[in-house]
Amino acid sequence: MTHEIYAFLRGPMVWISLTVFLGGSVYRLASMWRLAKKKDAVIFHYISVFYSLRSLLHWVSPFGSLNMRKNPAMTVIAFIFHVCLIATPVFLSAHVILVKESWDISWWWMPDHMADLLTVIVIGCCLFFAGRRIKRPDVRYLTSVSDYLILAAIAAPFITGLWAYHQWPAFSAMMLLHMASAEILLMMIPFTRLNHMLFFPFTRGYMGSEFGAVKNAKDW
Amino acid sequence: MTKHSVTDVIGIPDEGIDKGAEKLTPEKITRVIRKLLDEEGGARLKVYMETCVHCGLCSEACHFYLSNDNDPKFAPAGKVKQTLEHIIKKKGKVSVAFMKRACEVAFTECNLCRRCSMYCPFGIDIAYLMLFVRRICHRLGMVPQYIQDTAHSHSATMNQMWVKEDEWIDTLQWQEDEARDEIPDLRIPLEKPGADVFYSVIGPEPKFRAQLIYQAAVIMHAAGVDWTMPATPGWDNSDMCMYTGDQEMVARLKKVHFEAAMRLKTKRIVMGECGHAFRSVYDVGNRLLGWKMPPLRLMHALEFYYELFRDKKLTVKQKYEVPVTLHDPCNVVRGGGLHEMARHVIGETCTEFIELHPNREHNYCCSAGGGVINCGPPYAKKRVIGNRVKAEQLAAAKAKGAKTIIAPCHNCHGGLEDIVKYYELDMEIKFLGDIIYECIDKGQPED
Amino acid sequence: MVKNKIISYTAVFSVFLLILTVAAFSTDYIETVDDSAFEKKTRPPAAFFHDAHNETAGIDDCSVCHHLYEDGQKTDDMSVGMECSECHMSAPEDSAADLIRAYHLQCGGCHMEQKAGPIMCGECHRKN
Repeated sequence: MTHEIYAFLRGPMVWISLTVFLGGSVYRLASMWRLAKKKDAVIFHYISVFYSLRSLLHWVSPFGSLNMRKNPAMTVIAFIFHVCLIATPVFLSAHVILVKESWDISWWWMPDHMADLLTVIVIGCCLFFAGRRIKRPDVRYLTSVSDYLILAAIAAPFITGLWAYHQWPAFSAMMLLHMASAEILLMMIPFTRLNHMLFFPFTRGYMGSEFGAVKNAKDW
Repeated sequence: MTKHSVTDVIGIPDEGIDKGAEKLTPEKITRVIRKLLDEEGGARLKVYMETCVHCGLCSEACHFYLSNDNDPKFAPAGKVKQTLEHIIKKKGKVSVAFMKRACEVAFTECNLCRRCSMYCPFGIDIAYLMLFVRRICHRLGMVPQYIQDTAHSHSATMNQMWVKEDEWIDTLQWQEDEARDEIPDLRIPLEKPGADVFYSVIGPEPKFRAQLIYQAAVIMHAAGVDWTMPATPGWDNSDMCMYTGDQEMVARLKKVHFEAAMRLKTKRIVMGECGHAFRSVYDVGNRLLGWKMPPLRLMHALEFYYELFRDKKLTVKQKYEVPVTLHDPCNVVRGGGLHEMARHVIGETCTEFIELHPNREHNYCCSAGGGVINCGPPYAKKRVIGNRVKAEQLAAAKAKGAKTIIAPCHNCHGGLEDIVKYYELDMEIKFLGDIIYECIDKGQPED
Repeated sequence: MVKNKIISYTAVFSVFLLILTVAAFSTDYIETVDDSAFEKKTRPPAAFFHDAHNETAGIDDCSVCHHLYEDGQKTDDMSVGMECSECHMSAPEDSAADLIRAYHLQCGGCHMEQKAGPIMCGECHRKN
């Protein structure tokens, strides 16, 4: 049975999740583009590449905005979290080897002990965010169940991956959960608040354009 | 400083909201909201609503939140949660009571100052979302009484204050007369075709602050500006309809204003020291009329003063010696980037300048803008205690010696006056025009 | 005396040679798959009990694993005694990833096909 599940998760499910993720992302962006053309055509007249990039550059640089400087702990944790979240799966040796096996292409991978550390960091950050949601009254007020579920969905592949790597009890089952949870997470991106991965450049860029080109002001 | 509980300021009776609500049924609310979401809820609304990750990083941008002891209900995203988030989740199926509260949030707990957009990592335009809620309220016929009255005035008279056409002309002539006592050859040129400057003001100037027109005339005269004002509607550049969600009226108002300037074939519009009017003419009304940028050169008083000093059109006779500080108004600073120009003029006219902290784009709102002060006396206390941080900010400048607050915006002026009085700050509030008027060589004849 | 000495030396040497010869053909001592080409090891070597594996898997033909290709054609010869890296990492552009790939496809590929045997990382690369 394990072989069948493994084969499914490693074969068809990879394609399904990649298709849903990429196709979903393209669909979300394209349909939003179409909606914007139809109802917010004004956006296209005000968006400016220069001012979009000016604002984006400030907001993707650590401490590039006043709010980041005012919340140094959150800034450091949020940046580290996002870097680790992307870098760990992309540069994990096991993942690179899987790609190498399937498509005979490979790239640099990080030492396993480093991946181990980054994984623990991601899990730690998720705990921090959960704690922040519980502890800070304003964030707690905004939080709904779905916000916790999203955090759990992010933490899940990292926890199960760490478990499987260290070969703690029942690690084979954990490995299957690892693959399944990661594929679910990937498919969630276009259709949940994780879509900020897709829309962030546009929302920030538009605000940057409005502030920069029309209002002659900074927005960071 | 006295402490108030939030319950003091929530659920304030308001004829406009209460009477409007009496005529509503949940079915009507649902119908109106769905129609509006369908017609006007585009990609921006959708992306903003779906992308917010509820991180709460916008909270500390809001003076209402900070001043009400970090009450989550006053955090920008908290206001969205109490209004649009629920409306969209329920697809418009919300109760009358819910809409009453939503109306109160959008009209009296948010100044649309856009400070939170500078704090949101994603740049979500929360002011836009609050304006959408106001738009819903407008369509539901549920708008705070006082501000709705000004919107009625706009639609009936094309000015904010029910000023009749002859009263407008009469006021200008009266101010001209007064000013000629001081400067005999001064004129307030009415209907002068081809003038360089078309000077427009907000409705409250002829109504309550006619001396500002007097001062403007003196400055124009001293600088030798070729200027004029219209004798027809279009003299008022203000716009409360922008804040009640009545966009159709905004377009009508701005059209009349632009057309008055164009009819007189003037080269540019110069506006008095008002923030919301600048937002309306420079940023909102033009768009509703299909102009990407205003159809003719537009200058807020700050930029105009700056130009006069830069080109040495005005000479300072006696600098203003009382230490001053500057309140950067949202609509001309976050909305127009005129902060350095204001500082230049202050440098020319004042001996001692003390910065507020935070300042420039990051200055706290006065809590009067966005139509909140126009919602009238019922909410005066709410906006004043909702801006304790402003009082603390001013007190810090006062501790460094500042005695006069320069507020180059009518709404800010009103808001700060209330704050200074309530928190017993004992500071004087002036327009930049007041200072210039006091300092410059007016060209009076020698005795 | 001298003769005796020579005989005993010869005997000792013969025994030694015998042991060596037997050992050379025995595979019972193989407990992991290892390759000298892996200079630094990312994971522990794959556990592999050669004889037990072949007995369970019912593999008699050495060439099933110890294949030898020439010009892309599988030959009747076998690669017994060679290290996999001698071929699978022989091209100048080959890296450790290519060798790893060969091993994984060889072992894992068969396990997947047969629906038997370890398939996930930790099942072979045991940490003890």
